[in-house]
Amino acid sequence: MAPHVCEICQTARAQILRPKNHARICAPCFISTFEAEVAETIMSTELFQPGEKVAIGASGGKDSTVLASVLKTLNDRHDWKLDLVLLSIDEGITGYRDHSLEAVKRHSAAYDLPLKIVSYQELYGWSMDQVVAQIGKKGNCTYCGVFRRQALDRGAAMLGVGHVVTGHNADDVAETVLMNLLRGDLPRLSRATNILTHTPSAAKATADSCSQEVSFTDVKRSKPLMYAYEKEIVLYAHHKKLDYFSTECIYSPEAFRGSARTLIKNLERIRPESILDVVRSGIDMAKLVPGGDINCQGSCSSNKKQTVAANADNEEEAEGGCGSSNGKESGGEMAQMELKLQQDELAETSGMETEIKLPAKVTQAANKSDLSQNTASTGMSSIPIRTKQTKSLGKPERNVAPPKQKLGQCERCGYLSSQAICKACVLLEGLNKARPRTGIEVGGNPG
Amino acid sequence: MPARRADSRAALSRTLDANLCKRCQGNPPDITVRGELLCKECFFRYVSTKVVKRMESFRVRNSQPGAERTLLLPISLGSCSLSLLHCLNSQLVRQNERTGRPGFKLHVLHVSDTESTAHLDKVKALFPDHVYSVIPLSDVSQLHYVTSIFSDQDRPTDLSGLLESLKSATSRTDISQILLRKLIVHFAQSHGCEAILWGDSTTRLAERTLAETAKGRGSSLPWIMTDGRSFQGITFYYPMRDLLTKETLSYLSLLQPPLIDLVVKDEVKPAVSTKNATIDDLMRQYFRGIERDFPSIVANVVRTASKLDSSLLDHAEAHCELCDMPLDGQSPENSRICYGCIRTLP
Ligand SMILES: [Zn+2]
Ligand SMILES: [Zn+2]
Ligand SMILES: [Zn+2]
Ligand SMILES: [Zn+2]
Repeated sequence: MAPHVCEICQTARAQILRPKNHARICAPCFISTFEAEVAETIMSTELFQPGEKVAIGASGGKDSTVLASVLKTLNDRHDWKLDLVLLSIDEGITGYRDHSLEAVKRHSAAYDLPLKIVSYQELYGWSMDQVVAQIGKKGNCTYCGVFRRQALDRGAAMLGVGHVVTGHNADDVAETVLMNLLRGDLPRLSRATNILTHTPSAAKATADSCSQEVSFTDVKRSKPLMYAYEKEIVLYAHHKKLDYFSTECIYSPEAFRGSARTLIKNLERIRPESILDVVRSGIDMAKLVPGGDINCQGSCSSNKKQTVAANADNEEEAEGGCGSSNGKESGGEMAQMELKLQQDELAETSGMETEIKLPAKVTQAANKSDLSQNTASTGMSSIPIRTKQTKSLGKPERNVAPPKQKLGQCERCGYLSSQAICKACVLLEGLNKARPRTGIEVGGNPG
Repeated sequence: MPARRADSRAALSRTLDANLCKRCQGNPPDITVRGELLCKECFFRYVSTKVVKRMESFRVRNSQPGAERTLLLPISLGSCSLSLLHCLNSQLVRQNERTGRPGFKLHVLHVSDTESTAHLDKVKALFPDHVYSVIPLSDVSQLHYVTSIFSDQDRPTDLSGLLESLKSATSRTDISQILLRKLIVHFAQSHGCEAILWGDSTTRLAERTLAETAKGRGSSLPWIMTDGRSFQGITFYYPMRDLLTKETLSYLSLLQPPLIDLVVKDEVKPAVSTKNATIDDLMRQYFRGIERDFPSIVANVVRTASKLDSSLLDHAEAHCELCDMPLDGQSPENSRICYGCIRTLP
């Protein structure tokens, strides 16, 4: 094979076939192009305020490692004056985070960024080891997943940081778009394509301007790498010689995500650009979702830069580690949805007559279309006795929240929730009841 | 349908005989339809009910005697469009029997390639009461508003030259599909047809949902999925939208005489991993599996895409000159074509 010359600098030998568009370029040109593209994303979306405190959700994996490295580089290069900090979560599973936390500690030293590790123990009063000791091995993934969803926000608030960035890449977003088309969830599709998600109170808080204290319910979330290809993130890490911990998830993804992931891989093979095209389609579709800003409670309608409330209960974007997507236990996810849809159809075609005869569960399921705005989560009454059921949030027959309910705040901790009491609080109540502990106030604002 | 309701009530009150058709409890079952064992007759009724329901606006009482509205029925000779032709033909026969006149007239259009003409002759012989037209896809080169886009890009304006100039199989399929639709719309408008009846099944629409998404054409979905005014101006109907592709295949096989041999097979290429596979092939193959195992999920994809609100783009002033999509922040400034078309014409 004859050596190619880099298409960008026209001098160096091309070492890289760029996954995104198959351009042949040299490594230095790749690095600078990759960084320039992330900078362009950040600047064109006005993602950060000058001087903003930003926590980088750092798992030690490739995505968050590259994110930390690129943000550090760009912050210095463009003099954004961002106050960057690495934020890691320690679930408290003996041995599980040892390697990845070591990696994050090395990053902290290498990039000269402060590191804060917050543990479930600090945040919730329970480490995962303690949870397992309490409830046994079965179902503990539910706890881990529910706790993780709030952990970054809670951890950021503890540090007085109002903005968390995560390493979600273009492949993740494209996958989530297809997944939510497959399971019919437009609100979640819409959230996944937003580079910045907001809580209602965060929007308010920004308007009221600076109060020093940050409540964890006010934390913004964004994904600066949402246009970066997973393969390019790996390449970037390789050529920058970044050391990261491969967090190969030991669980297979839930059925819908797995199916979407396979499709994305095949699409990439046929037309590499199609990952970004799916993202693009998702963004365009989000604009056509009826009542798309229903969760914003008016705060974003005036704002041209569309932000959508991060529904904390339903935030489900393949975050690493053990967690909400245990394939073994929710492998029948598609089959369950199929069954539920068939019941809906049956109820619809046979009308009232059937509705009376069928068990209440199905009648409620038939109301699901009214609930589409409110991808309601598991009814609290079922936790924690039926913990197994709670982990796959998309599981349709669990969509049993009362119809009119809108996204609100947890009565206990104030976190975003579609239930009166958020899932974390419900789970904690169960845990605490079984082993009463004193002196731990969950959700107490530590500011 | 009072008779049906009584049927089902009677069926509920006694225990069902699992060896008989679930709906009529009179005949032995011939086929499993969405989990129910049905006899042929009940399956035919199931299919025709789904189609007739979508044709509400073309009941006899809505038509002027002697001035029936003409509807264009493009047929590809695939199982979906052939089933649709059969269903509509039967509906017209019933309307004539009941009221002495039809609720609409059909103009059947086939955009041909060479091998399909023999099949089409057989179709004509079976359903002789309609007007038939056959045109080649290359006729699209005569539409100046189409070819000017290509000549402006210094591309060949004749069809085969144009397709050859495109690098990928996906682009060739994409452009062929767009041109095919444009040609059909143009034909309908120039032949006094009030609307176009597309044959797409649920499965086809689900395939298109994901294929268009993957081609960066996500915002075109609400127009593709819903009955009503299209962005080309003419009204579209999708009477087969509640039926699966596999159901249309069963329908054509069970009919007496069977019509399944008239179907011009569009082969799904086995390997989606090869360079020559298209995005459309990939989605067709994907939904073949989903249709088999999770038919309701197929329907749910279409229902979801249909929920997108096209009126939110109504204010768009410019349209893509190639695919007619509204250009609303869709493409670079001053571009005459949309994001998806730019992708496919690199
Ligand atoms: Zn170079
Ligand atoms: Zn709470
Ligand atoms: Zn029957
Ligand atoms: Zn276009």
